[in-house]
Amino acid sequence: MDSGRNDLSQRFDGTPGSPGIGIGPAFLLSVEELRISRRNLSGPGEVEKEIRRFDAALEDTREELRRLSKNVGDLIEGKQLVEIHMMLLDDPTIRRDVQDRIINDLVNAEYAVSQVLYEVLDRFSRMDDPYMRERAADVRDVGRRVMAQLMGSEREALLNLDHPVVLIGRDLDPSDTAGLDREKVQAFATDKGGRTSHTAILARSIGIPAVVGLREVAEYIQPGQTVIVDGIHGTVIIDPDDDQLRYYSELQERYRDTEENIARNATEPAVTEDGHKVELSANIEFSQEADQVRRYGGCGVGLFRTEFLKLLAPDGDDEETQYAAYRHVLETLSPEPVIIRTFDLGGDKFLSELEVSERNPFLGWRAIRVCQDRPELFEPQLRAILRASVLGNARLMIPMVTHVEQVVWIRKQLSSVADRLESEGHSVDRDMELGIMVETPAAALGIDLLLPYVDFVSLGTNDLTQYTLAVDRGSPYVANLFDPLHPTVLRQIDHVVRACHAAGKWVGICGQMAGDPLGVPLLLGFDLDELSVALTLIPDVKRMIRVMSMDGARDLASRALKLGSARRIRRLVLDFVIDRYPEVLLETVENGEEGE
Amino acid sequence: MTEKKVTVPNRLGIHARPAALLVKAAAEYASDIHISFGGDRVNAKSIMGVMTLAACKGSELTIEADGPDEGEAVEALAAIVRDGFGEE
Repeated sequence: MDSGRNDLSQRFDGTPGSPGIGIGPAFLLSVEELRISRRNLSGPGEVEKEIRRFDAALEDTREELRRLSKNVGDLIEGKQLVEIHMMLLDDPTIRRDVQDRIINDLVNAEYAVSQVLYEVLDRFSRMDDPYMRERAADVRDVGRRVMAQLMGSEREALLNLDHPVVLIGRDLDPSDTAGLDREKVQAFATDKGGRTSHTAILARSIGIPAVVGLREVAEYIQPGQTVIVDGIHGTVIIDPDDDQLRYYSELQERYRDTEENIARNATEPAVTEDGHKVELSANIEFSQEADQVRRYGGCGVGLFRTEFLKLLAPDGDDEETQYAAYRHVLETLSPEPVIIRTFDLGGDKFLSELEVSERNPFLGWRAIRVCQDRPELFEPQLRAILRASVLGNARLMIPMVTHVEQVVWIRKQLSSVADRLESEGHSVDRDMELGIMVETPAAALGIDLLLPYVDFVSLGTNDLTQYTLAVDRGSPYVANLFDPLHPTVLRQIDHVVRACHAAGKWVGICGQMAGDPLGVPLLLGFDLDELSVALTLIPDVKRMIRVMSMDGARDLASRALKLGSARRIRRLVLDFVIDRYPEVLLETVENGEEGE
Repeated sequence: MTEKKVTVPNRLGIHARPAALLVKAAAEYASDIHISFGGDRVNAKSIMGVMTLAACKGSELTIEADGPDEGEAVEALAAIVRDGFGEE
């Protein structure tokens, strides 16, 4: 092995969850449900070590149970349970069986324990008495505790990391990731999840490389094994050889250089060649993302989605959880504006308590429609936003507005909640701007009817396109018909901007189109006051803005409006873009992030 | 070696709590103690063993001990069973 080559390195392919390279020793999470991998021992020295590890795990588990026993207090039932667990732990036959397996089969302690557990559980499952069959749960519980000790995966250890690690798990729970030490955690790798899973979103938001959807990586990794996580390509390597380590260390450095480059460019203003300044802000989902907005060169938040605050903590103390999140974002970014969008639940984002059966959920009970019917859901949100409003530049935005009465209702709610808060001694910003999302033809064509009641407007182009063209882009049969560059969508955007400016109100866009290389010049040409895009797209959009002129963009937009089909418009804009920033076009193709 | 046969009198048989009682009692003695029932023979100091005996009401158990205090051990365990584990 003098070449440093290690034939044991294993490679797994998954889904890129968050870009970047992370290298470090594995830290295993959620041993529950894990199948344990078998490692063969080399000789008597290792056998002794495994037995010592096993005994230490038993002792630590005993200690844990003793603590638990104190906590159950005077509950007779609880005490009896802990007592039985303790006896299971002290059971001489189990202990002997595990030791025998380590010695005779030359396997690691985890594997030996799991095999003995399987046998015991099997014996229980074959018992006639249902009461006794249920005791299998006690055995499993104790087994899990011992296993957790063996695999060193205690949550406390996670919170008190003293060296860098790569987190490995079936899936990361919000509870796992709360309070993580970002300096220590080099990367995530999980069996489950896709690009829009909690793990991936969180990893992107706090800038940690991640690979998700690896299916079974967790069962092949031992704690402490060196792991490379390549969040750019979606690859994980266990026990890399020297060549692989060298290659990925270089890649890591290169990626960090790019990141620094982005950070440097971030300070450049978002101004066109001919001096027109564009407000470029960020769409965020987690309060922690606020910390990154300035680094990426954004000037505030054009869309703070709040659904996750609810989806991730459905039983939490609503008002306080939300207040803490809003407060963090507002204080971090003050005096820049932060647009908080009230819950857009329903459609494809469900809370189990709100789940209803509808034939057309996107035409059904979602967003403001849900909030109007569920004061217990909506009031805590309004309270939290109003309380936080005095801490920065807060603006409130309502999704899916189609009827004037909805805006009038919101105004009333806001003022009565504000009254109540003030009578309780809170201070609130009564002049907080109120805006609506324009994401239906009803709101776009009827914008003149809504404008008297609002301070600003933000276009949600994904939904506007879906509702205008009557196309569900999630359906493979019709997705090819989905195109925000369709003449009817562009006409509505143009109409809304003109109406807003005529009324002296500002209008932005927080849809995916604002981050699309083909969308940016058109939107600029339509005179949008603000573009709000996913954090990671800000540097790209800024580069596009800086290489075009406002005159050119206006000319492009007016020519596009005269064309009769999405295809012809697409070709027109493509030519415009290829002349100016062909490189951005190539890079952002893979980088497309969800927008509204 | 000392041996004694005893019948389980309580309605629920040897479930978790009775098993725990037996194992705790067995742990007090230095002798090796075993309980046999229905072709199975288990270590009386092993909660897992005693629980998996699955001895219901009316089961006839054989308690045997081998060691310095075998007589007392067998008598103590037999008494616990005869007493119905203090239940009912």
